[in-house]
Amino acid sequence: MKKLFGIILCLCAFASASMIGMDALGEEQVLGGMAGAAGRGYAGSAKTGEAEGFSLMNPARIAFDTKVVFNVNFEMEWFTAEKSDEYFTTNKIAVPSFNLTFPMGNFGALGVSLWQRYTSTLRESVKDSVTKTTTDIEYQGSVYEIVPTYAVRVPYLRNFSLGASAHLVMGNISRSLTMGPDNSAVSKEDSWATNNLELTDYVEGTWEVNHHPAYYSFAMQYRGKQVSYFFSYTMAHTLLNELEYNFRFSQLDTLAPTEYSREIEVPAMLATGINYRLFKRHNIMMDLSWRAWDENVENIGRSYDMRAVTKTQNDFMASLGYQWDGTGLFYDPYWKRITYRAGGWYKNWYIEDVYEFGGSVGVGLPLGRKGTTIDLAFQGGKRMSESKGNWEESFVGIRLGLMGVSSWGQTRR
Amino acid sequence: MSKKSIAVLFVLSMLLASCIFDSDESTLGSWLGDQGLPNSYKVQTLTVGDLTPVSAEVFQDSTPRDANSRAVLGAVSGLSHDLVFDFIVTDTVLNTYLQTADSAKTSIILNLLTPFYTSKSFPQDSFPFEEDLSIKASWKITKGAKKSKVEDMLDQEDSVWYSQIASWKSQNEADTTYSLKITKKDTVLEIPLPSALTADMKNSGKYFRIQLRLSAPEASRIYRFYGTASYYPPALYVRNIGEKAKQTMMIWVQRMAGVFSNQESCSDCLVLHGGVFDSLVVEYPSKPIMNALSEFYGDDFPYTGGDGGDVRQAVILAELTFSRDDSQGSQELGHPIQVVVGSYIDSAKTQDMREMETYKLNKNLIASKGHPNMVFYDGDSLTLQVTFGMRDFINRASDGRTFKAMMRLGYPVLQDKDSTYANYVTAKGDSSYTFFGHFDYARYDFSTIKSSPSTLKLWLATKRGDE
Repeated sequence: MKKLFGIILCLCAFASASMIGMDALGEEQVLGGMAGAAGRGYAGSAKTGEAEGFSLMNPARIAFDTKVVFNVNFEMEWFTAEKSDEYFTTNKIAVPSFNLTFPMGNFGALGVSLWQRYTSTLRESVKDSVTKTTTDIEYQGSVYEIVPTYAVRVPYLRNFSLGASAHLVMGNISRSLTMGPDNSAVSKEDSWATNNLELTDYVEGTWEVNHHPAYYSFAMQYRGKQVSYFFSYTMAHTLLNELEYNFRFSQLDTLAPTEYSREIEVPAMLATGINYRLFKRHNIMMDLSWRAWDENVENIGRSYDMRAVTKTQNDFMASLGYQWDGTGLFYDPYWKRITYRAGGWYKNWYIEDVYEFGGSVGVGLPLGRKGTTIDLAFQGGKRMSESKGNWEESFVGIRLGLMGVSSWGQTRR
Repeated sequence: MSKKSIAVLFVLSMLLASCIFDSDESTLGSWLGDQGLPNSYKVQTLTVGDLTPVSAEVFQDSTPRDANSRAVLGAVSGLSHDLVFDFIVTDTVLNTYLQTADSAKTSIILNLLTPFYTSKSFPQDSFPFEEDLSIKASWKITKGAKKSKVEDMLDQEDSVWYSQIASWKSQNEADTTYSLKITKKDTVLEIPLPSALTADMKNSGKYFRIQLRLSAPEASRIYRFYGTASYYPPALYVRNIGEKAKQTMMIWVQRMAGVFSNQESCSDCLVLHGGVFDSLVVEYPSKPIMNALSEFYGDDFPYTGGDGGDVRQAVILAELTFSRDDSQGSQELGHPIQVVVGSYIDSAKTQDMREMETYKLNKNLIASKGHPNMVFYDGDSLTLQVTFGMRDFINRASDGRTFKAMMRLGYPVLQDKDSTYANYVTAKGDSSYTFFGHFDYARYDFSTIKSSPSTLKLWLATKRGDE
């Protein structure tokens, strides 16, 4: 397992996230990129069970869990960015979230998640056939959130639960563009000055919530015999990105940076979802989330002919999913113990005129008797873009989730 | 479905995805363009003429310096070079000898720096050197009551001794004249010292220390010798020419230092001397450079946004060109002399940090006209690269700083039109040296910097867009 982690983390360093909106916030990892949720099209935050685990959209859900769940997720995605007859292909490897939930019976449940919410990652080189110079472009950016959560079932109204979570934001971002010279504007006898001289345009900074340690989500969940649903509200907040921007001739030979901050007004999010259970193991689910962006997002390290801002739009996601729950009985045939999932989603990105639709199928493969599961999801889709500078992207991906289940703190019956 | 089948399916799906998504990296440049990012930095040049310094000042450090490897005695180019020796006597043999001898004489042995005088780069037609050298010898003798007290003097740090001799006060002194004649074949000088020194040594007890200073301010030139740490260090010879004691006593030098004094008559002149680390600091005002940048880019300079760090552009290279007049200087060896330059920077937020500039080679120019950073050479201008300094100055100009550069005379240049700018072995197997490894104790008057305007040429990379 340690080797697997090592390989994945190494590969992360060479992979790229979506190339849309990298100068804004980057690509959002919906629901922590959990493989279980991804397999059913990111629907199912209303689905309850004894070991459903963390839901970043619905902090109230874990109140109904009875088992401790640890969950870590990996993602591999291949995508092609294209515009007219030009296309560029790269891949992405990410570890979008770690999650732990700890039910405490009548005292409610605690949970914590480490969520790589937004990523902008790219490392590529391009050689100019005319000038023979090589350009290296590298984005390394992540907005991480640590999300401690508490949820409790309401006394007397035991089918209802309330939950709240705090989102502590951290992370950093950098963009490095290393270029060779363009001497077209200088006389030939002056071009010697740039011999063997590469120049790096460099910007780096850190993320936090402005004037506050965190922002917060609140949720209410109802669990019925057949129908469960939730409603959640996440507060609006301002992300603060403190940046240093300079030119570098080498690691040590740099200009004193100019320091500036960008503030990104993230609107409140409303989310709801429903899960309908029929014939015991069949589940049909639908989730909706919505954020009304008022402000555009200032771009990182604006220079050259870059646009000053990334224009925003109402950020909306609708997802529909199906899940057949495995039996959970060890003596059943293995195929019956597997959980099967399928789903699809439509998403308006926070970036103006960027839309995404996709579909997925997934399985939850039980390992051993204790409920430990490997979740696999295969997904594909398209990110449509009509905005300037953002190319359309087609993607396929594999998500892998490892879920450990235990009964810590529970008395044996 | 078995676990094994699932693993195989997983791997196959990854391979399939790899095949479906073929890559075409050449379009990344197009994508960069769509983001408004360039794939090369645009270079522009800007020339700022008529720059006159707000200040120009020569700094001279006359602190005594070690003469470990080489030593200089005499006078040249407005400087007089003295030598100070430290001899420590820790045994009784010399005292016994002096008490016995009836007519002892003392002299000092100085070995000529033969690698310098026999070098092809030294003008051999300078030989022979011949003059009646007036030497002033001054000394002070410290008597040691005990041997251990004198032995403690051996352990004194050299740096402490250098600082002590900076304020030299002799106990005794005497003038002497030495008929100097040096031909190509000579390797050593034995200079007789005044008899008063011998007398003082005789009266100094068993253990003592002699600090001896030799000055020859009226010498027609300088003479170079091996120093303390060489194979041929100086020594004091004591010989008896009477009847009683015939052998020669020899005392090796413990340490020695070179001290120079300035004999220039013009206090306002900007004279740099070679070999002694004189430095000329020139300070240019901010305004003409800022105005030129404003006119060039159409933006306000200095940049005052945020914390005032201007990263809208960067200096790729900067050259400062002065007029020069070699006729006001003098030199010893006849080779062009490199002018080295440093700039005062503080991007690292330290105070007045001086960084020596690198020298980027303009190979075409060097091949046709020679290195532009030399004096005592063809032409009437001197071009120095001040890239680090100018880069820092424009970057931080909002704090009101001026541009300050320092220059000094470097080594004589042997390959004036060779752009390799490093020692190398030729195809014939010969060594080719860029510099002569010995300083020319030259003088160069840079006073024209104050009266003749300089020109600054900048190569700039900008972050401004085309739109």
